[in-house]
Amino acid sequence: MSYYTLIASLPHLPTHFDVERPPISRPRLNQRLKDLDEPDAEVVQQLANFLAWDRQTLDRSEQNVIDDYERLRQEIHHPIVLEIVDNRINIRTIVSALRRRRNAQDPPRGVGQLVQPIRDRWKEPQFGLQKRYPWIEPFEQCMLNGEAVAAERHLYEFTWRLYSRMADQFQFSFEAVLLYLARWSIVDRWTSRDREAGLARFDQLLEETLGEFARLDI
Amino acid sequence: MDALITMFGWAGIYGPTALGAIGSIIGCARAGQAACGAMIDVESGYGRLVGLSALPSSQIIYGIVVMFTLNRPVSVEAAPGLFAIGILCGLALMFSAMFQGACCASAITASKTKPEIFGLSAAPAAIVEGFAVFAFIFALVIAGEIPGSASG
Repeated sequence: MSYYTLIASLPHLPTHFDVERPPISRPRLNQRLKDLDEPDAEVVQQLANFLAWDRQTLDRSEQNVIDDYERLRQEIHHPIVLEIVDNRINIRTIVSALRRRRNAQDPPRGVGQLVQPIRDRWKEPQFGLQKRYPWIEPFEQCMLNGEAVAAERHLYEFTWRLYSRMADQFQFSFEAVLLYLARWSIVDRWTSRDREAGLARFDQLLEETLGEFARLDI
Repeated sequence: MDALITMFGWAGIYGPTALGAIGSIIGCARAGQAACGAMIDVESGYGRLVGLSALPSSQIIYGIVVMFTLNRPVSVEAAPGLFAIGILCGLALMFSAMFQGACCASAITASKTKPEIFGLSAAPAAIVEGFAVFAFIFALVIAGEIPGSASG
């Protein structure tokens, strides 16, 4: 399948990620991507793996994140995927730094380009990164006020705008496919917030009601 | 040397057809692939998507007309003029068809979600077509000045 066919077969993404549901379901999207050539399918798989990894909870050890990141950097060679990975890692680093500073902890060790600049400017309000990352200030404010959804929205806004700007440079190419997937994943994550919260709440209720039997595999 | 110059003359005669055909092949293929993709995503209006994807085929027709206009016994005097007009016109037709195909592909993807903009979205492709028409018309006009033609 050529990129012309593939891109024309994908429904338009909304202008903003805050919609009721993604324009295309995950199974249908996977079906459309099935006809990609093997090298392209491999890159798409790497991106999908990263996005799935990125979606995991933040309760893993720093060493675990560092190992994963190093492995990803070695596996991934496509510049757009690398840019997506670096952007997400930078966001994670900033969020982690803000949390640690709120909890009066030391600067994060972590990985990525921002670890050292943050350590160097630990005392400054937004680590001196406000020009490059204007979302830090409103995000920190929301975080301090305990407004988790609003804080998350600031992160998604920034990432959505970044990917949209990048996507403007490509039309019927593999890069356009990758950036479509990256933006689709934002819509998917945003629209599935309620579902995930509902599932977590359901699991919690189940555990409270059934105790250890709730974890039995049937 | 004369043989080489004569060869360039023949390249000039056949150039508009060959280059126009290459452009139309690429342009129609791009737009056609987009039309096929869009058909997966829409439930109706297939015909107009395919119709739009055929727009870059006009360049090969212009190329054939220019070829017939340039066609004449190739002499050493006529060959440089034939080569210059034929190849330059052919290149203009080729690029216009290729980029018109990209315009059509964009129009197809844009109009599948908003069918009401179908006409307007085809306007960039029509503008590109206009430049191909300029190249075509003025190739015909200037071909009359080449030595060996009826008026030259």
